[in-house]
Amino acid sequence: MTKMRRRKTLLFCIASVCTLALSVSVTAQDRAKQIGGKFMCMCSCNQVLTQCNHVGCTTSTAMLKELDQAVARGDSEDVITQAFVQEFGTKVYAEPPKSGLSLVAWVLPSVYLVGGTLLVVFIISRWRSRIHLETAAASGGHSGISAEELERARRRVARETED
Amino acid sequence: MATCGLIFIATFSLVYLFFSDSYWVSYVVAHSNRDLSTFYKIAALWSGQEGSLLFWSFLLAIYVFSALFVYRNKNGELMPYVGVVLAGVQIFFLTLNNFVASPFKVLATPGANGALEIFTRADGNGLTPLLQYPEMVIHPPNLYSGYTGFTIPFAFALGALLARYPGEKWIHLTRKWTMIAWCFQTAGVLLGAHWAYAVLGWGGYWGWDPVENASLLPWLTGTAFLHSVMMQEKRGMMKVWNVWLVFLTFMLCILGTTLTRSGIVSSVHAFAQSSIGNWFVGFLALILVVCFVAYVKNRDYLKSENQLDSIVSRESSFLFNNLILLVSCVAVLSGTLFPVFSEWLSGSRISVGAPFFNKVNIPLGLILLFLTGVGPLLAWRKTSVDSLKRNFSWPSLFSLAVGAVVFALGLHEFYSLLCLILCVFVATTIVMEFYRGARVVRARSGASFAASAVDLTLRNTRRYGGYIVHMGMVLIFVGLAGAAFNKDVQKDMQIGSTLQIGRYNLLLQSFDSKPERNYTSERMVVEVMQNNKPLMMLYPERRFFQTNQESGTMVAIYSTLRDDLYVVYAGQSPETQTPVIHAYLNPLVKWIWLGGAIVVMGTIVTLLPNRRSVLAFAAVQEPSAARPMSPSLAPSATLREGHD
Repeated sequence: MTKMRRRKTLLFCIASVCTLALSVSVTAQDRAKQIGGKFMCMCSCNQVLTQCNHVGCTTSTAMLKELDQAVARGDSEDVITQAFVQEFGTKVYAEPPKSGLSLVAWVLPSVYLVGGTLLVVFIISRWRSRIHLETAAASGGHSGISAEELERARRRVARETED
Repeated sequence: MATCGLIFIATFSLVYLFFSDSYWVSYVVAHSNRDLSTFYKIAALWSGQEGSLLFWSFLLAIYVFSALFVYRNKNGELMPYVGVVLAGVQIFFLTLNNFVASPFKVLATPGANGALEIFTRADGNGLTPLLQYPEMVIHPPNLYSGYTGFTIPFAFALGALLARYPGEKWIHLTRKWTMIAWCFQTAGVLLGAHWAYAVLGWGGYWGWDPVENASLLPWLTGTAFLHSVMMQEKRGMMKVWNVWLVFLTFMLCILGTTLTRSGIVSSVHAFAQSSIGNWFVGFLALILVVCFVAYVKNRDYLKSENQLDSIVSRESSFLFNNLILLVSCVAVLSGTLFPVFSEWLSGSRISVGAPFFNKVNIPLGLILLFLTGVGPLLAWRKTSVDSLKRNFSWPSLFSLAVGAVVFALGLHEFYSLLCLILCVFVATTIVMEFYRGARVVRARSGASFAASAVDLTLRNTRRYGGYIVHMGMVLIFVGLAGAAFNKDVQKDMQIGSTLQIGRYNLLLQSFDSKPERNYTSERMVVEVMQNNKPLMMLYPERRFFQTNQESGTMVAIYSTLRDDLYVVYAGQSPETQTPVIHAYLNPLVKWIWLGGAIVVMGTIVTLLPNRRSVLAFAAVQEPSAARPMSPSLAPSATLREGHD
């Protein structure tokens, strides 16, 4: 009985170690994939490293191997990034770093959006203010509408409201 | 007509040279070989720089001839100006064809007497393997038809500005041409995406490559134009904006081809680096100057006739739609060119890849999707609160309910969840519009609901065709939302071993290598099983082309509405020499292609003439979604339809 128990305990320990090892290896794989998604493949395919699947692409194979080794060593993401930038230059980044000149790339879309929105708001407010002026001018004049004007207004409404 | 005829002769001569294996012509040698199938000998025409430029001239000639022929006895004040602009563009491309990048250069060496002697090669270098795929026979013609097609609205806009041609006539004249060009551009972009998906073998369809971006830029501004042009038609507003949108769209077409051909940006899709980019840059500068001068001299003619009555109106939704499309366009353009600018400014090239473009464009795309649902249901001039409640209550509630259900089912990825909610919202608004309209038609005609919906669509093709296009876009967004849940597994496979991905189990049955006519194939035979039952066979392969010593991937895809099982033969493992499978499970991808087909179908519907010009609504009083008119000004018994 004690032997059985020992065996069971041993089996449990082996199973636990295996599971742990497997989970560590899966984590390492995931981590390599996650970090690899931040680099470009340097074979000039313009694809992210983990997505380059060009037939016979030796560049991505070598880069991925290097990445796997760095992850297996337990290097931090920063260390791996620095090593890759040192080896391949700044063009290895899949997205521009959020510092220095590269920050401009990130800021520009927001500038476009904010600037464009302000422009649209400005245009709308100018149009609206003109309307108020025109309405005020119209109410200052005579209020009678001729049949011809009414007909013209009807035609205009019909045109503008049809889909 | 003579120009068009001569360009036809030149183009068909080049095709004939390919078919007759004329290996004394440099272009034929570079892009064909004897074993190349007939199918791809046609595609070889546009596979290189020189041939593709001739093909551009060919398509442009068809457009120019058609436009001049259709309006030969009409619009006498406008057409001379249009003709001059069209001729100018055509002349530029013919100059390139004749003096800069001629596809008819022959192989020659200096002979003993100093004269050049033509010699013939035994065989050609063959077509690039990446181009030996069915989509490559239809994708470039579609895309080029889009690029060249935008020349027509450009010529009419510039011509109308130069001639100070009255009113919105040029817009009415060019609407169909713009729609045709846009339709081709849409089909071209989507076919290109499908080609990338099926050929490049990385499991995705859009990598934000500079050349892909170049095709998207004019599509974005063209889409903006198709929306904002309605404001000019209905309300005489945004005239300056529309003219510049057309100018910009055309210039982006030229810029796109400049990027592809000049080597300014690096891309796997680009042609070889050459000095031809200088010609395009010069042409772009010329266009910009001409457009700017024409605008400055004639800007008085572009004054708006009306003002905006309310912020909650169709007009403002178009303004915001245009804003988002333009911001997206400029963001994509600046991201594409940023590596070049960073190199100029700092000396080191900073890459801008897919993660950047995704982060920037996904939120913009979702705002646009929201506007797709909201815009068409807002009334021109002003939308009442009642109308807002009536049109948006049910779609909002329904989409939020669906969102809650899918969240409870485990969809927690923020953008995908939001995208799905918005897709349901937009789809519901579209279905409601069809339902309301069809109900009115059915009440009058007594026909079935489906027949009434078809009748409704054919009575106002532009409006309901537009809704069909929007529905197609919704399906495309559904497909895009699936990308967040892509999975992939790579494994060295022994014969008889299996690989599990999602609900599929892949069993490698055999692996062989056999010579074909134009290549040698390494092929896996993979049995796909689901729940331990055989489902189908897949044959991922790699082809090695002896003539140009290049390889190409043939991905095997099992596609369903739920997901795509995408299997790539990734070569042999260097350590074990066993074949390697890279399998992907990509959810909802099929919806993208389905949506694309519906977009094209909807565009075709918008081009159809309306079935009837007048429809009297006498018996049924239906509160229309976007028509809050005062009774005194409403056309009392008759609503005119089919205005265009």
